[in-house]
Amino acid sequence: MSERIHPLALQAADKLERGRISRRDFLRYATLLGVSVGTAYAMAACAPAGAPAASEAAAGEAGAAGGITRGGTLRKGVLVQPVDHPARLSWLEGANAVRLVNEYLTETGPDNITRPYLLESWEASDDVQTWTLKLRQGIKFNNGDELTADDVMYSFSQWLDPEVGSSMLGLLSYLDGMNSVEKVDDYTIRLNLTSPNIGVPEHLFHYPAVILHRDFQGDWVKQPIGTGAFTLEEYIESERAIFKARPDYWRMGEDGKPLPYLDEIVMVSVDKDAAVAAIQAGQLDTLFKPRPSDFLALKDNPDLQVKSVATANCFVVRMRVDQEPWDDNRVRTAMKMCQDRQKILDLSYNGEGILSIDAPFSPVHPAYAERPIPAYDPEGARALLEEYAAEKGVDLPLKVTLATKNDLSEPEIAQALKELAAPGGFEIALDITEPNGYWDRWTEVPLGITIWAHRPLDTMTPPLAYIADADGAPVPWNETRWVDPEFSEKLAQAELTLDIEARRQIIGDLEDIMQERGPIGNSYWTNEWEIFPKSFHGVIAHPSNFDFFYAVWKQQ
Amino acid sequence: MTTTTAPPELESQPGRLNRLREALAIVFSSRTAVVGLAIVIFWLAIGVISLFWTPYPPNAQLFDPNLPPSAVNVMGTDHLGRDTWSRIMAGTQVVLLKTRLATDPRVVIPGGVAIWGVIGAVLVGGLLGVNAGYRGGAADQVIMQVLDAFIAFPVIVLYLVIVTALGRGDVIVILAITVTGAPGVARLVRGLTMDIKTHDYIRAAETRGESKWYVMLWETLPNARGPILVDAMLRVGYAIFAIGTLGFLGLGLPPPDPDWGSMVNDARKYIYSNPLAILWPSLAIATLVIGVNLFADGLREEITRYQR
Repeated sequence: MSERIHPLALQAADKLERGRISRRDFLRYATLLGVSVGTAYAMAACAPAGAPAASEAAAGEAGAAGGITRGGTLRKGVLVQPVDHPARLSWLEGANAVRLVNEYLTETGPDNITRPYLLESWEASDDVQTWTLKLRQGIKFNNGDELTADDVMYSFSQWLDPEVGSSMLGLLSYLDGMNSVEKVDDYTIRLNLTSPNIGVPEHLFHYPAVILHRDFQGDWVKQPIGTGAFTLEEYIESERAIFKARPDYWRMGEDGKPLPYLDEIVMVSVDKDAAVAAIQAGQLDTLFKPRPSDFLALKDNPDLQVKSVATANCFVVRMRVDQEPWDDNRVRTAMKMCQDRQKILDLSYNGEGILSIDAPFSPVHPAYAERPIPAYDPEGARALLEEYAAEKGVDLPLKVTLATKNDLSEPEIAQALKELAAPGGFEIALDITEPNGYWDRWTEVPLGITIWAHRPLDTMTPPLAYIADADGAPVPWNETRWVDPEFSEKLAQAELTLDIEARRQIIGDLEDIMQERGPIGNSYWTNEWEIFPKSFHGVIAHPSNFDFFYAVWKQQ
Repeated sequence: MTTTTAPPELESQPGRLNRLREALAIVFSSRTAVVGLAIVIFWLAIGVISLFWTPYPPNAQLFDPNLPPSAVNVMGTDHLGRDTWSRIMAGTQVVLLKTRLATDPRVVIPGGVAIWGVIGAVLVGGLLGVNAGYRGGAADQVIMQVLDAFIAFPVIVLYLVIVTALGRGDVIVILAITVTGAPGVARLVRGLTMDIKTHDYIRAAETRGESKWYVMLWETLPNARGPILVDAMLRVGYAIFAIGTLGFLGLGLPPPDPDWGSMVNDARKYIYSNPLAILWPSLAIATLVIGVNLFADGLREEITRYQR
């Protein structure tokens, strides 16, 4: 069987051929993406020798633009939310403000690869139960103190303290509090996991996981001490936040001086409709997480550039297997067959996404195993429903109610599915409420559409949603109550498998189980966009909508 | 001298006809009312036609999304590739012609949500107003204080409270229109009642020993019907706005069946890429509200002149 090449690896090979990345960069990148070393070397050999390196996006654009210029202000339309303790962050908008001042140990890039950030490197033991984290040396906080293991230990203590209430506590459930976190020396920390886990580097980039100063008292607005490229100048909730460039940031720019290139970031608290109008009037430069309608409104503006990135964000049509009629796999399968995936993507997301296969694994995940996209098959669905109806003595069409919320693309998906499922034998009534109306009952409704956020690793979403806890009860976010022993067993295996090829085999099996008897229909994975004036360079569209502005520069 | 009495049925026929003729004469003597009536009849006709025929099924996603007007789709298509004109036509039904009850199987009753909403407001407001006006004293104080408290709330807040508490659906929207409209009707009816109860025929009824309810329902309310009718017509316009507002806030009638407010809300998201899509349902709401208001204004002018 021939080896599957990750699409991003093919793109990287193209970049290598055109001299955009170095051979070493390509090999590291390709192997991280699961391409075997032999194949990666063979691919690299096809490129011209001695291709010049240009690893930074900003630098690549600098060549075309005639050199990086420093200075300028970036104005972003985003809700300026209340922020106190960064470990308690629960919204991306607030996290993006904090991220300008504070930084992470690791960084998962838009290519979905996790690299060291404040760390110099990490090392996992063979049984992936001991992780050694080595800090970069010489990094200074904006108050002049040097970053050491003490700051990292303090940050871990905050994440793991139930009194603080950080979502990191659940994510790092494989740590036995601070008993599992060990300071080896001033720049080394060791994590002794109670159970093996391959997701540690990704977890250290969870948005509340910014590294705090060892003297942090609990209110970031009053004490904005961090290692980041900007300092907090002003933070007025629901109005604005102003950040100024820091002169002694540890990263260096292409011009040999410390980053950032921009002088100032201004966040203006406006809703998205107002932000779109302000961008068109030139009063703002960009907005947080454009919606499909914002994308449509701005994409053809000649003064703007749109950067898009594929993600593992999705809208899942999920069925509760402990309730009729969804306890019958024929009904679940019939519903899945009623998805005309391309049509649903076109109608609800402007065609901006990748088609999916009813499993929580996206092509952007490193160990994704490719499977054919199931066709729209209302006749097949009807045949299954007729069999079910005859056995149960019920009449077709089968009447079901689909619940969801009305703020993103869910109403469009629901309405499209209602029409598509009618010839398949379903009569779907829609119960669409405002977001809180759905979030109050998202785990309870028999049939619903729930948004699931991007997670960079293939083994991160399934343990949240499709397994049982130690007592055999579905985990709290298991909204479908679907627990399959074979799936759970293979998932546990995948969580221990670092080797991408071996993990891809297991993930392939998990995808097959999900397609055969799983509880979700998932038509597509969304793209995310960053929309900026063309005068800005080095803009990165991140699948989790994380802002990275330290290397963004503005053509003066 | 002998007198002959015509059988009642023979006597009432010319009476009813005469009254209809008089009513039409009032309408047709006002140019404003005629224009208003023409607009309302236009939309009623569109609604009736849509019960049997629309160019395409209003909920069918047959075309590309956000298409501009063309020979195939005279008003273009919406964000889900549905024919906008077909949806505008069908949207008339829920405003003026039919109400869907949340029963299983679903029952549809004649009369649109706006019509039932106004009937509800007039019934509730009328009963409360006539009681307050006729009984006076403590009853008047209590009823009017409570209703004033309702009036003190912004209408949109009341809509939000009702829809959030009770959910979505035609009957809920009718209830929202009733609750927000009843205090205004009650104030009007109370004022009319306080005037009417000074008349001799009320004294006569009381002297005959009629009950208070008889006097209120059979002697008072029928004599207040002219202003109440005009107010009700105006309220149909407010109700159409209310349905539009609720739809625009995403709290109106549940999708996918079209209602104009939801159509405006959906199209608003695509205003930069498909600006015409927001225009058509907005125009539909505006013309129907203007039509109803012109009709009511014309009627009021003529009735007032007639009464003078």
